[in-house]
Order: sequence, then C-alpha cells, then structure tokens
Amino acid sequence: MVYGGKAQTMKFPMRLWILWFFIIISIISIINISASQKLLIFTLLMGGLIFVNFIQSTKKSILTIFFVLILATWLAVSSIESGILVASIEQTDKLLEQGLRQGEIITAVNGQPVSMPEEYYNLVAAAFTTNESKRFDLTTKTNDYTILTNRTPEITVKEISKTKIKTGLDISGGARALVQPTEQITEQELQDLISVSRERLNVFGLADVQLRGVSDLEGNRFMLVEVAGATPSDLESLISEQGKFEARVGNITAFTGGNKDITHVFRNDATQSAVYPAEPISSGSYVSRFTFTITLSPEAAQRHADITRDIAIDPSSGGQYLSENLTLILDDKIVDELRISTGLRGQVTSQISIQGSGAGATAEQAVADARNSMNKLQTVLISGSLPFELTIVKLDTISPALGSQFNYSILLAGSISLLAVSIIILVRYRKLKISLSLLLISFSEILIILGIASIIKWNLDLPSIAGILATIGTGVDQQIVIVDESRLGRETSIKQRMKRAIFVVMSAYFTAFVSLLPLFKAGAGLFKGFAITTLIGITAGVFITRPAFAELIKRIEE
Amino acid sequence: MENNQTIPQAQEQKRSFSQWYQKYYKHMLILPVILLIFSFIYLGSFTAKNGDIIYKDISLTGGTTITVFDKTANIDEIKQSLIAQFPDISLRTVTDIRTGEQKAFFVESQSKVNELKSALELKLGYELTSENSSVEFSGESLSTGFYKQLRTALLLAFVLMAIVVFIIFRTPIPSGAVILSAFADIIMTLAVIDLLGFHLSTAGIIALLMLIGYSVDTDILLTSRLLKSSDGSLNQRLFGAFKTGMTMTLTSIASIAVGLFIIYNLSEVLKQMFTIILIGLGFDIFNTWITNASILKWYMEAKHKQ
Repeated sequence: MVYGGKAQTMKFPMRLWILWFFIIISIISIINISASQKLLIFTLLMGGLIFVNFIQSTKKSILTIFFVLILATWLAVSSIESGILVASIEQTDKLLEQGLRQGEIITAVNGQPVSMPEEYYNLVAAAFTTNESKRFDLTTKTNDYTILTNRTPEITVKEISKTKIKTGLDISGGARALVQPTEQITEQELQDLISVSRERLNVFGLADVQLRGVSDLEGNRFMLVEVAGATPSDLESLISEQGKFEARVGNITAFTGGNKDITHVFRNDATQSAVYPAEPISSGSYVSRFTFTITLSPEAAQRHADITRDIAIDPSSGGQYLSENLTLILDDKIVDELRISTGLRGQVTSQISIQGSGAGATAEQAVADARNSMNKLQTVLISGSLPFELTIVKLDTISPALGSQFNYSILLAGSISLLAVSIIILVRYRKLKISLSLLLISFSEILIILGIASIIKWNLDLPSIAGILATIGTGVDQQIVIVDESRLGRETSIKQRMKRAIFVVMSAYFTAFVSLLPLFKAGAGLFKGFAITTLIGITAGVFITRPAFAELIKRIEE
Repeated sequence: MENNQTIPQAQEQKRSFSQWYQKYYKHMLILPVILLIFSFIYLGSFTAKNGDIIYKDISLTGGTTITVFDKTANIDEIKQSLIAQFPDISLRTVTDIRTGEQKAFFVESQSKVNELKSALELKLGYELTSENSSVEFSGESLSTGFYKQLRTALLLAFVLMAIVVFIIFRTPIPSGAVILSAFADIIMTLAVIDLLGFHLSTAGIIALLMLIGYSVDTDILLTSRLLKSSDGSLNQRLFGAFKTGMTMTLTSIASIAVGLFIIYNLSEVLKQMFTIILIGLGFDIFNTWITNASILKWYMEAKHKQ
C-alpha cells in the first residue's frame, strides 16, 4: 500500500474505509427497504468508492462520488416501500376468516391501488354507502381476498413507516405494565406464567403485545407487558386477574377452565354463541344476556353426570329443574347460576351452554358490556387460569398525543446543540475543516447508533435518547483531545501524539463502559435504554469514528 | 502595530499568572476542601431533617402521574380544588416550544390512580381516556425497590470507575485525585440539587451516573498530560491541558444548555437530567482544575525534588 505522495491510488485510508462501511450499513439498516435493494445500494456505494481510488484526477473523483451519491439516494428513496399496513383486525371480521392477518400490506381495494391510509378509508367508505350485501375485494402483497358483505370491514390500517427506527412507549404512546406474583417464583414458573398470559392475550385478540420476564438487583421476578400505540381497555384485567374458572354443582366442582376439561369453546358460530338485545330493568339501566356453548372432555362430562345423578328434583319448578344449580365462578365471584334441567340428571352430556350478562346505562352499552364479558369468559375458558395471583406494580398508559412534538423537539435540540458545538470549535481553532470534520464525525456517530438500534430492534425511549446526547457530548470531548494532541508539543512525532490521544480516549472509554454496567440490572431493566445507546455509541466511537477522525485531523494538520 | 504590542503583553500576563499559580496552587486546595465540608454538613443536616439524602419524586416513592392534554384548563384552579383531598398534589403545564401555548398539564400525587383520576374527572367535567390523557402509576414497594437499586447501581458504577482509573494510572496519588474529584463533583451537585429543592426521579439518579463519565474525562486528560507527556514544563503542560479540558467542558455545557432550553417545558425526565448534568459540569471545571490539578502538581513537584 502506498500512502499519499504523488501516487494517487489508495487515497482513502483504512480507517476512513471502515467509517464509510459502517455509515452505509447504518443507513441501509435504518431505511425500510427490501434486502435485495439494501444489497444493491451497499454495492453501489462501496463499489463507487473503490472505483474512485483508481481514478487519477481529483476532478473526476469528485464527479464520480457526486454521481454515486445521487444515484444511491434516488435508489433508496424510490425503493422505500409504499402501501398500507393492516394494523389490527376484529375477531368477528369476515376477512379474518378468509385468512387476512395483521401486518399484511394492502395494495388495492376493489381493484384500485392504494398507498395512503386516507385513500383506503375513502374507498371503503364509498363502497359501503348502502346496506346491501356486495362483493368486496382486497389485494395485499401476498394474497387476494374477496368477501360478500354489507358491513364495513373492521380493520384499521396505518402507513408503512419509512424507517426502522422505533421509538419507546414514553414517546410514541402505548401501555406498559409490570406484573408481580404475590409469592416468590422461580425462573421456570415465570416462563410458564408468560406463556399462559401470552395465550390468553392472543385468544382475546390482542396480538401486538410484548411479554417478557425481567428480574432486578434484589432478585424479584416480574412479567413485563408492553403494547405499542393504543392502550387496550381490558389490558389491566387481562394481565392481572387470575381467571380461575370453576363450574360447581352444590359444593362439588364439575369442571374448570382450560383445555383439560373444556375441549372446545364456540365463538364465531351464530347458532352456538350469541349476545341478546338489551332489556331495561329499571330507568337508565339495561341488561343484556349472552350465551355460548362449550364442549366438555369425556372425563369432565362423566364427572358432571356423576355429580348430578344424586341430586333431587326441585318440586317448586314443577319437576322441570334439579334442586341444585350449576354455579359459574370466576376468580371467586359468581358469574351466573344456571338451572339444571331434569333431563340432564345423570346424563353424560358433552355440550354445555354457558350464560352470563352485561349491564349498562343504555341498551348499546349493555350489549357492548355483554359482548366484552363473553369474550373475556371465553378467553379464560380456552386458556385456563394463570398459575399465580398477580398484582400490577407499575402501569403506564401513555397517549401518543405528544409524540410528534417530542420527535420535533429532540431533532431540534440535537441539531442546534451540534451547531453550537461546531461554532465553539470554529472559534477555538479558526479552521473550518476541523469544525466540519467534527460535525461529520458526530453526525455519523448518531447514524451508527440509530443503525445498530434498528438492527437489534431497540425501542428508543427517553433515557435512550438522553444516552445518544450523552454519547455525542463525550464524543466531541474526545475529538477535542485528538485535535489538541495533534497540535500541541511539536517536539514529538504526530504518531506519538496520536498514540497519547488514543490513550486518553481509551481510558475515558473504559471508565464510562464499566460505570454503565450496573444499569442493566437495576430497576428491572427499565433504565437499560440509556446504558444500551451509550454503550453502542461509545464503542462505535472508540473503534470506528475516533480513528477516522484522527486520520482526518492528521491530514488537515500535515 | 497593535498586535505587536498585545502579544508581549499577553505573554507577560501569562508569565505573571504562572508565577502566581506556582506560589499559591497549594493554597487553592482550601477552596474545594471548604466546599466539600460545607456540602457534607448540608447533606448531613438535610438527611437528618428529611430522613433521606434527597427529595424523591413519585417515580422513587410510588404514586400516580396523570398528563391531561387540555389546552385551556387553569392549573391553579385545579390545584385549589384538589389540594384538600390530595395534600401532596403538584401540577405543571406542558407548553409548545414553537408557540408557547399550553399543550397539556400534569398532576402528580402519591395516591392511587383511581382516586386521583376520578377527582380530576369531576373537576374537569369530562372522562379521561387514553386519547386525551396519559396515566403513569408505580406501586410503593416497587418504587422504593427502584430507589435502592439505583443507589446501588450508582455506588457500583463509582467503584468500578475507581478500579479502572487505578488500573490505568497504576499510581495511588494521581488515581486518587481523579476519583476524589469525581466524588466531589457528585457530592457538590447533590448539595445544590437539595438546595434548589429538586425532587429527584429515577432519571435524575441516572443523570448523576452520567456525571461520573463526564467528570472523569477531563481528569484523565489532565493526568495523562502531566504524567505521560514530556513536552514542555509542568506548568506549560498543565495550561495546555486546561485549554483542551475547558474546550471540552464548554462544548458539553453549550450543547446540554441548548437541549435543556428546548426540552424545558416538554419532558420532565430530560429536563431534570440536563439540569443535573449542567450543575455537575460546572463543578467539574472547579474540581478538575483546582482539586485535581493542585494535588497532581503537588505530587509531581514532590516527586521531582526526590
């Protein structure tokens, strides 16, 4: 390798190559494009630079770089996926039965291409102006769906995000709960709890929920529940109520919730599950009943038969019912009492009708409450009870209302801070090149942190952003050390001076590194964000950007 | 012509400062000693009076914060009507940086979510939903646990930093000076936080932890310039390090101050973090260039004489 001098090849030293490589990787990780397009852009940018190294004239090199950058930007912008994403889909929607799932990308509605959520909603609104059943076509990237319906599809859509950067709940909104069992549990028990809870949430119809086991410095174990975006209204009861379901005849348990006793719960079949119109019970108070059928396992059905065999007939009912009721109990509260008809006595019946009710100030509210109660009851009958009694020790429900303002303010703060710093540097050294190098390096550091955060799918919450700002701050500090070492003490060679600068930089790196470690465990890992972004930032700084900066400064000073 | 005159003048000033510094650098150590003793006494009496070394906000004691996106509500009025029921209640507004208009307000109290929420709904006259409000709740035992753990984390971080500093410099007095200066930064910052009546949140404690990193940077620079370099005299190296270190700290102060200004009415979390770091950076100038520099110079001069 020949450096500098008259020979114009290999103008780009190794350290700048590494920086260039990581910047490209970060950019293609941040933007939301397909893998093949990423590869294309990567090849173009790396290849372009390699090509430049073999060009003899500076003018041509600059032109080539310019051309490559324009081409890459055009490619990136044009290949960002457009379209709209299915954000959620109701349990009862016909499209769900057809196989449409959350996360699919809608490309056309009734044959007309759509790329914005508004276009989708307009087309759907236009399609369902009357109450007649009609054909509805939905085209997604992977499938075509056709349904005959008179109801507006109950799905919500959102725009595909242009970047892979995800912001945390405290910025973009959502809900976070930390749930702790009332007794000490083992790691295995915690994992069991999580899998039962996950099934319950899935059965209930909440798909976009993250469940994770966390522990803290004191050895407490928690289940961390996170929902991005909106907060489901039933989240609190779904994750904290144990859902211990029991059907009793007298004092004897006939069957319990979960798949051991209950093999099937009818949910979407109109003949086997229904919510009835609400009826007024007094002024301003309505009640709506629901009913659905469940299938018992042979053992549970036998048990039911054995229990009912010896029960006397209730004479006051005219011989119609038995004297004991079937009591449905959920978490030690009675849901409903059902009379057992005489014909069922001692019979092995596998199909049992479960009933309950909902109440509300209006008929509509009562029906909604009944529907909700039914869904919850069905959920616990299917998924069974949680293995422990739980308490919610932390529950944050954050509205997304301030999100855009946050993003704007943080960007503003970041850019003005960097500008202020480079002005101070300009005043101090009176060299525009140094200020510009410092800006370039700090900016590429931010890119690399965001790139790595996108790759590891880290949600940037407020502590994470504070971490990024802190990294840039210490990064600038270290760059100042490098500049000053390169300018001070002309008696020693620049190589030695750089070595000294690297010593200071590495020492600062190691002290910062170790001081962040305790944060990983403290507070159930909720403050990890700060430690993670800072660690990524300072590590990238020491191994990628600082060496590149030293190289730039060496060239400026020489 | 003017230039030719000012340069010798500046050099003259520099020389006389150098002489003055040479004579009095040991005496200057009295300043940090006094300040440190004062901080200790203040923190001690604070702890005796309040039962803890800091005022804690609800993220460390447990309680509820409700943010309501209401542009017109008068928070003084709301406070007046709720203070009887929630004596510890505190309210603040969130304003838009561009227009200065109220965007939201938030209410904090150690009480349970439902009590605070229904009292607030009654006062506001509308229901609080996840569309128009954010609710954050932390249980008491969890928050106390967080506080203990963050304290341990801070202590652990400090000890780990100290070990690394010892490994780097391998000499007890210079390493001790770096650690002492970082320690003094944190203690003095804590004293000022208490003086200002700040209620520390979890983020505030993390900011103290960040301070370790920020303050050690300049100390390491100073120590390595003095210990590991041989360019120029001791004082020349010290003044050179001072110039570098001050540029470092000033850029940090400038960027944090800008951030603080922009975020001031938007995020309590970032506001507290930035304020604490700003206070800490101020003390870092003091402790690096008086505490650490004087001890190190003393050490170097003594070693030189031997």
